Amino acid sequence: MFKSRPLGVLVVTVALVAAACSSDSGEIDGPTIKIGSANFSESALVAEIYAQALEAEGYSVDRKLNIGSREIYKPALESGELDLLPEYIGTMLTFLGGEASSDSAATHSALQAAWEPEGISILDFAPAQDKNGLVVTKATAEELGVSRTSDLANFNGTLVFGGPPECPNREFCLIGLQSLYGLDFLEFKPLDVGGPITVTALESGEIDVALLFTSSGVILAKEFVLLEDDKGLQPAENLAPAVRTEILDAYGDRFANVLNAVSSVLTTTELIALNKAVEVDGEDPDKVAADWLDALGLS
Amino acid sequence: MIEFLGEVVAWFADPAHWTGVNGIPNRLWEHTQITVLATSLAVLVAIPPAVVLGHRKRGGTFVVGAVNIFRAVPSFGIVVLALPITVALGLGFGFWPTFLALLFLAIPPMFTNTYTGVAGVDSDVVEAARGMGMTERQIMTGVEVPAASPIILAAVRVAAVQVVATATLGAVVAWGGLGRYIIDGFAIQDGVLVFAGALLVAGLALVTEVGMSYLERAIVPDSLQTAGNEVAGIAV
Amino acid sequence: MIGFFSWTWVFDHLDDIWNRTVEHLLLTVIAVTVGLFISFVLAAYVLRTRRAYGPVTLATGILYSIPSLALFAFLVPVTGLSILTAEIGLVSYTLLILVRNIVAGIDGVPGPVLEAAAGMGYTRRQMFFGVQLPLALPVIIAGLRIAAVTTIGLVTVTALIGLGGLGFFILRGLSLFVSPVGTTQIIVGTVMSVFLALAVDFALVGAQRLLTPWARSKEAV
Repeated sequence: MFKSRPLGVLVVTVALVAAACSSDSGEIDGPTIKIGSANFSESALVAEIYAQALEAEGYSVDRKLNIGSREIYKPALESGELDLLPEYIGTMLTFLGGEASSDSAATHSALQAAWEPEGISILDFAPAQDKNGLVVTKATAEELGVSRTSDLANFNGTLVFGGPPECPNREFCLIGLQSLYGLDFLEFKPLDVGGPITVTALESGEIDVALLFTSSGVILAKEFVLLEDDKGLQPAENLAPAVRTEILDAYGDRFANVLNAVSSVLTTTELIALNKAVEVDGEDPDKVAADWLDALGLS
Repeated sequence: MIEFLGEVVAWFADPAHWTGVNGIPNRLWEHTQITVLATSLAVLVAIPPAVVLGHRKRGGTFVVGAVNIFRAVPSFGIVVLALPITVALGLGFGFWPTFLALLFLAIPPMFTNTYTGVAGVDSDVVEAARGMGMTERQIMTGVEVPAASPIILAAVRVAAVQVVATATLGAVVAWGGLGRYIIDGFAIQDGVLVFAGALLVAGLALVTEVGMSYLERAIVPDSLQTAGNEVAGIAV
Repeated sequence: MIGFFSWTWVFDHLDDIWNRTVEHLLLTVIAVTVGLFISFVLAAYVLRTRRAYGPVTLATGILYSIPSLALFAFLVPVTGLSILTAEIGLVSYTLLILVRNIVAGIDGVPGPVLEAAAGMGYTRRQMFFGVQLPLALPVIIAGLRIAAVTTIGLVTVTALIGLGGLGFFILRGLSLFVSPVGTTQIIVGTVMSVFLALAVDFALVGAQRLLTPWARSKEAV
């Protein structure tokens, strides 16, 4: 086989076959939409939902999931390496230097205004919110008698806190916990972004307090206790698609409508159920996304 | 550029970066510790069986095949793959998956190169030793291992340096070590932190390389000293 | 964790696996090809100016010793989450072994052979392409094999910058590792990467046999 075919021709053939097979031949003409996500499962799941909804309409899509943190994917979105990704309005607005509040509509408009100069448009926001949440095990909650975040201040200097590596740099993570709540942890352990490593660490007692997400499917399933954000550190964190204005202009209303339709039915309850299917029941996220869209008639 | 390097120097000069769990001494210690442990255990596990098999010249084809396969295994994959295994075994994340992955990566090149070195010892010399009445065991320890020592030690040296470099991936499974600076720096796009981490790893790798070279020079019999005998190893 | 491997996932994602394998192969081919080209240029320079061998080896060696994670992380703010970033990193890691092997291969051509060729009136150029290069081929291809296999392993790390080829599955599996869907992806990403490396290695050995017909009677390593 090899003796009759130079390596070069083989490689070119593979490349051609690849080009033919890999591009999801969408019926709609236009640039392929590069969909990105942050490196945690909810972000990847919502991005997958966007992707499948768009593919169902006939758009051609390229998935670039699990791209690190905001510092990494924001420049990529602005420079056109990514076209679309799911964002959380409160944290993103603050990241851009704006003031986020618990008012979803106001925060959303402020975000649109703040990011528009960089050529990014924010489509309709979903009712679903996902905020940072401090979580302890049931046993810890009982032992320490804590139910609110401010209760933790009574144990300053004794508790180990685990969360995403970027937590010490985040307004709504360590920075806010220290300045607003006056919390002082014994140690901060960089783990993963509200993922299985953090959950495992909390369960095994390697950390006392974990940073998870309020829409996480794990909290209820594992009977963890989500501490109340009694001082209101966390702003409104509705999910909304962030898309390059250029792409929006190229494709027009039909494109926006697909994503807005998805957002309109994505409630926090739905989001928790979706997360649970992936994080707790161990289902294939691609299937979970597909089934959800099917059930809602959006694919 | 100069400005950037100035920032890196400032990072190193900051006393806050020398204290605590995330300070340079602790991360350096973690990194060194795992390197020493993984390399030592790999030596114990890989070399004796390889010497025996090489002496008996048994299993040659397997060894050649194994070289290729293990060279092809991606370290990133192994580190991540070790995670569910160690969690299932109750060993948790962080140290254990990183350690197991490093073992897995260090053992094959040590094994194969030791085998090749021992099997490649001049058969005339071995025959002569046999003729002198040496037992098989004496031949292995007194003739073959010393004769193959340049190759064996070179393999250990290369493996140790590989371990230092690959241990940086441990940060992906929430381990510490110097990779922490690289991963955390990458997460917040702090180029200074990434650079500082890379510098420390490169420095440790260099120290390991030089240190092991001295060890080689000390152990290998004078008549067999070879200058910088490079043995192809697995890279990160 | 009940069950480590989910064949269902595999069959549901055959398309994705194929696409990512192709992506992986393309990233590798580009890196090794560009690396080979640059290495030839460097090697030619070194062969002409012997004193440069030390510095060139040092420079490529330093590049090689930078942990891949750090190199990619460092390039991102400069060249973005792009194939360029990945390739700059990947190419850098091939240079050390390729330059070394090209130089060693050309150097390894026996003196008498060169003299004979000169005696037969070969020009310098004819000598290089007609004598030195072909005879150096086994050593060069040996280096190429190592470079290719190494690159295939490194491509997985580019998953952290949005690419990855088969590394995409490894990274995805990491965030889902407590379920069979996650572990399956890690296994598939790792195992397919090994298969790909073995296939490329095999192909290069085949290419070597093809290109060095005079050596066919001997055992090829």
